[in-house]
Amino acid sequence: MRYRTITRRDFLKVASAAPLAGALAPSLKGARAASADKVRVFLIRDANALDASGARNAEVIQKMLDDGVRALVGQPDIVKAWKTLIKPEDTVGIKTNAWRYIPTTEEVEQALKRRVLDAGVAADRIGIDDQGVLRNPLFQKATALINARPMRSHHWAGVGSLIKNYIMFTPQPSAYHGDTCADLATIWSLPEVKGKTRLNVLVMFTPLFHGVGPHHYAKEYTWDYKGLILSLDPVAADATGLRIIQARRKAFFGDDRPLQMSPHHIQLADTRHHLGVSDPDRIELVKLGWSEGILI
Amino acid sequence: MVQSTGMKMAAVLAAALAWLGGPVLMSQTGNPAARRLASFIPASAGPWLSEADAIFDAATVFDYIDGAGEVYRSYNMKLLVARRFHKDGKPDIVVDAFDMGSSQDAFGVFTHDLDGEDAAIGQGSTYKAGLLSFWKDRYFMSVYAEEETAEMKRLVLELGRTIAAAIPGEGAKPRLLRLLPPGGLEAGRIRYFHNHSVLNYHFFVADADILLLGQTADAVLGEYVDRQGRRSRLLIVEYADPPAAVRAGRSFARTFMPDAPGGTAVKTENGLWTALRVYDRFAAVVFDAATGEEAAARLEAVEALMRGARS
Repeated sequence: MRYRTITRRDFLKVASAAPLAGALAPSLKGARAASADKVRVFLIRDANALDASGARNAEVIQKMLDDGVRALVGQPDIVKAWKTLIKPEDTVGIKTNAWRYIPTTEEVEQALKRRVLDAGVAADRIGIDDQGVLRNPLFQKATALINARPMRSHHWAGVGSLIKNYIMFTPQPSAYHGDTCADLATIWSLPEVKGKTRLNVLVMFTPLFHGVGPHHYAKEYTWDYKGLILSLDPVAADATGLRIIQARRKAFFGDDRPLQMSPHHIQLADTRHHLGVSDPDRIELVKLGWSEGILI
Repeated sequence: MVQSTGMKMAAVLAAALAWLGGPVLMSQTGNPAARRLASFIPASAGPWLSEADAIFDAATVFDYIDGAGEVYRSYNMKLLVARRFHKDGKPDIVVDAFDMGSSQDAFGVFTHDLDGEDAAIGQGSTYKAGLLSFWKDRYFMSVYAEEETAEMKRLVLELGRTIAAAIPGEGAKPRLLRLLPPGGLEAGRIRYFHNHSVLNYHFFVADADILLLGQTADAVLGEYVDRQGRRSRLLIVEYADPPAAVRAGRSFARTFMPDAPGGTAVKTENGLWTALRVYDRFAAVVFDAATGEEAAARLEAVEALMRGARS
């Protein structure tokens, strides 16, 4: 399929020049007409998720996850709720993210594992891994995946996203770096992952909204947001996290400066690859918990 | 801060080697280029002791810095030596030393991020948020404190000066920079690069490579400010040969300015002017000039410099 080239002038036609290299307007990409049903995304925040020193509170994080899953499934009993996502006979891979500066966190990993155990899955059929997933027998046999990672600005993809988190399921991740990772969503069609994802968890405890240097990290550009975003739709969750990142950038820098690289892989996951929904008008955002500084 | 047993052992060994007066060359002993690169970095930074070096090339750089490796690959990086300095209870310092293969690409990758204060180190430097970046000769150096304090800033700058002093030579900037007319040019905002992803990082032109940069073209992007404070940009691309420049000019005109009479200049939707000129193996594009005349005058100036460069 041939796609029409988008130029700077296309943006000038619809807006001022400020957000040029930022998110591509869905209208420019021929987004599908809005459907009647909105995709639901749950943003759960708790002021006590981190203490003043930045230490994470496992108990609070477990509650945040549980509150989110209860709402997402519509089942007040947390074990029953998880049993609608995971079957006892599943082999479950929790795809995490071990980036040195902002990992998924052990607290989130263990909170997820605890509920998978509660759903009846034996401990020896639950794997937690990031870079080793292709070599990990549990992931090779996985019938269900839980996708959990932090959102952060990213030197090449614009943002590190849930969509991007599955890049380690490819033998050569750099093969997906073309056009600043535009087509990351195609990874989700690989047999290792296709149709297996039961829950997406975008960790927003201390998101990175700007990066510097080879490691693309400076603590100065993180903030204590103390949130989790849950959705069955990775694109909708990423699109929501991206809006928060962009709002924080605007608050910090005082202008609408675009991310250093365009995070267009999120919009393209919707408009080009139909993995999910990126248009905020088609996303129902449910906010739970702490609302101060919510930015969205 | 947690210190692993391996980390402690590495630090002890590094200290021993430093005491003996030898550099820490634990994993690059069989690689002369890595050995040379590592020799620019001291074994200790005050009481911070170094761990074992990690060495990466263009194929393995992703193992270290994930997708950010694409930036360095786009500038033809040859080698990276990473050395971490550790002191219990203090933030780590990380030195990433890149051999870019040429001073032009060392300069180019330095221009990828020009934010920050000039630290007057090497042949060009910036410091911000705990990160010192500088270039000298064919090397690009990043010295980074994982948490910024006044003490860490002082240490990072001191370490940077030590590394810069250890690099014996200096290198030339890309010749393409000479084609930027000086009037109104912001000297500290010049970018040099090779591909359209990096162009878009600095100034979004199009999602496709409509200027046919590929990975072999050389490009420079300059920012200009006029007396009224209006900002415009000048992009100059040098192709392998004149036919390649003609093809690129046609591609750009067809996609970006199909409504331009003769495919050379157009008033765009923001009321500013974009203009294109192809000369010999070069293509030059002015973006966001206040008037058509201003755009034409800048391209005339570029062409005059090009003619001078040829003669």
